[in-house]
Amino acid sequence: MSGALSARRRRALAGLLAPHSLLLAAFFVVPLAIMAVYSVLTPGLYGGVEWEFYPYGYGRVLGAPLGEVEEFDPVYGEILLRSLRLALTTVVVTLLLCYPAAFWVSRLPPRRRALVLFLVTLPFFANLIVRVYAWMLILRPTGVLNQLLGLAGLPAADLMFSETAVVIGLCYVLLPFMFLPLYAAVERLDPALVQASRDLGAGALFTFRRVILPLTAPGILGGCILVFIPAFGNFVVASLLGGAKVMLVGNLIEQQFLAARNWPFGAALAMLLLAAVLVLLVVYVVRTPHPEGVR
Amino acid sequence: MRRLIPLLLLAVLLGAGPCARAQGKLALYNWGDYINPEILDRFTKETGIKVTLDTYASNEEMLAKIQAGATGYDIVFPSVHMNDIMLKLGLLEKTGVNAMKGFENIDPAALRSRADPKSEYCLPYAWGTVGIFYNKKKIPQLSSWKDLFAYAEKNPGKVAMLDDMREVLGVGLIINGKPVNSRSPEDVKLAQDTVLKQKKNLAAFSYEVVPLVESGDLAAAHYFVGAMMYVLKKPAELGYVIPAEGATMYQENMCVLKSAPNKANARRFLEFYLRPEVSVLNTIQQKNGTVNRASLKLLPPEMRDNPNINPPEAVRAKLQIFEDLGKDLKTYDRAWTKIKTK
Repeated sequence: MSGALSARRRRALAGLLAPHSLLLAAFFVVPLAIMAVYSVLTPGLYGGVEWEFYPYGYGRVLGAPLGEVEEFDPVYGEILLRSLRLALTTVVVTLLLCYPAAFWVSRLPPRRRALVLFLVTLPFFANLIVRVYAWMLILRPTGVLNQLLGLAGLPAADLMFSETAVVIGLCYVLLPFMFLPLYAAVERLDPALVQASRDLGAGALFTFRRVILPLTAPGILGGCILVFIPAFGNFVVASLLGGAKVMLVGNLIEQQFLAARNWPFGAALAMLLLAAVLVLLVVYVVRTPHPEGVR
Repeated sequence: MRRLIPLLLLAVLLGAGPCARAQGKLALYNWGDYINPEILDRFTKETGIKVTLDTYASNEEMLAKIQAGATGYDIVFPSVHMNDIMLKLGLLEKTGVNAMKGFENIDPAALRSRADPKSEYCLPYAWGTVGIFYNKKKIPQLSSWKDLFAYAEKNPGKVAMLDDMREVLGVGLIINGKPVNSRSPEDVKLAQDTVLKQKKNLAAFSYEVVPLVESGDLAAAHYFVGAMMYVLKKPAELGYVIPAEGATMYQENMCVLKSAPNKANARRFLEFYLRPEVSVLNTIQQKNGTVNRASLKLLPPEMRDNPNINPPEAVRAKLQIFEDLGKDLKTYDRAWTKIKTK
């Protein structure tokens, strides 16, 4: 390849990437930088910040650094861990629901398949709060669920305002984010490879573990990431279905920006959340086998 | 109703259409469901001024937006303590509303702003109490916080409190006989312990309790006087009470922003709202308290004489209104986080 051509190509590439990069810089990098800066400034009395270095918001969560006006409180660590646990539960449940479903959908005739995909994305047409509110009407003691259980002669379930209700709500809201990447990966899976594995004498389980799973791993990874991140920070579902008795990190951040008027602490919490997500993602990406790596 | 999460933060365009005689615009920024749309219709019909209405769910949300430089709004409806903060921050316009026709009807007790004791800036808008909304089929008799928590202890999971830091800790302070604006960490700790002791019996901290109390899924909930909207429809089944130990009250004022693009129209709206026959439309629809003594006389008797909407002097004396706590807000924030985590 001649140097001139590659220079022209590079210019073209830069030109093509420019709009996207500018958009990301303006609406992602800049706000993130503002938050990072705010997280180490002094909280203003009525919201906002004062331009004075003040890293002690981190001290409330981490134990250091601690100023004279802030104290370390393990309560924040508890809140982060609980949010993590709920987010991981949501990832596991949606994965278990969507993985078999993706195989089923990929074998449907094309027109039925298009219909199913349309139905999966249908909830996006309605506002999130309205949909979560509908779950309140389903799960409450005199709600739809218990009426149906009653008709079937089964004992009533009291799920409203519980952690189970929060997990149900999160799974419902985030299901499409798991399904779509999984489906894309499963659809690309070449049935000939599965056939070849069986022909060569591999058992069903072995074929699944060594052929199907590695080949669909990018979809699994993508789905898990897309579900995990919003589940970790969600606060609407926990407020409405969990009865806000249990605080999640999303609720805590909201409280800092609104009721507590402590923007820097809210920003510090958001940065810590971001760091936690990044660490988990790096670990996950490094430890997940890449399809090319399969022998 | 006033703190319902606004399902649609859409600007509602009123009096739109082929309006040839448009006299300009007026942009209101108010709590969700906190003004009777009929008032806006009438104002537009009379003046030709097009009114837009945006809504917010908390004082802090509104302040954050105005502080961040949101322009285009003319009138906001802060609670009294936020009225004070906004005045200190220089966000409000002096309107001279206290010299307008009809201001003599405003109850002097409603001039609660410390920063604006003579109402040179803002017009008292409406007030109400925060008490207990309950289902009479579940609890026939309820008159105090003590009754409420005694019921919750026997029937866990059937009572809810608001998802509001100051309101819930306020109840804890009232039960312990402490002022709801206490800056003493010991008082706040007492309130925290009182609420924590009840927490295992509570179903939820939530604003979205009206359908649950109506259906009997919840027996009772800490709620605003706006619940009277449902109580008056089904008085045999539902009730609202101001607890005997006392309760908190709220009041919002109507303020013109310094950055308002339509100040003259905003003043016209204040004058319009000072008419008793206009403000009574709001009170009838909202089922809350009026600050206009002439409007009070125009109310239907079931509202005017209702002690839970217009309480007698002895009960009023037991109502407390929130003040801004400045830096001491942090004590409450920490207590609230503990309550939500333990």
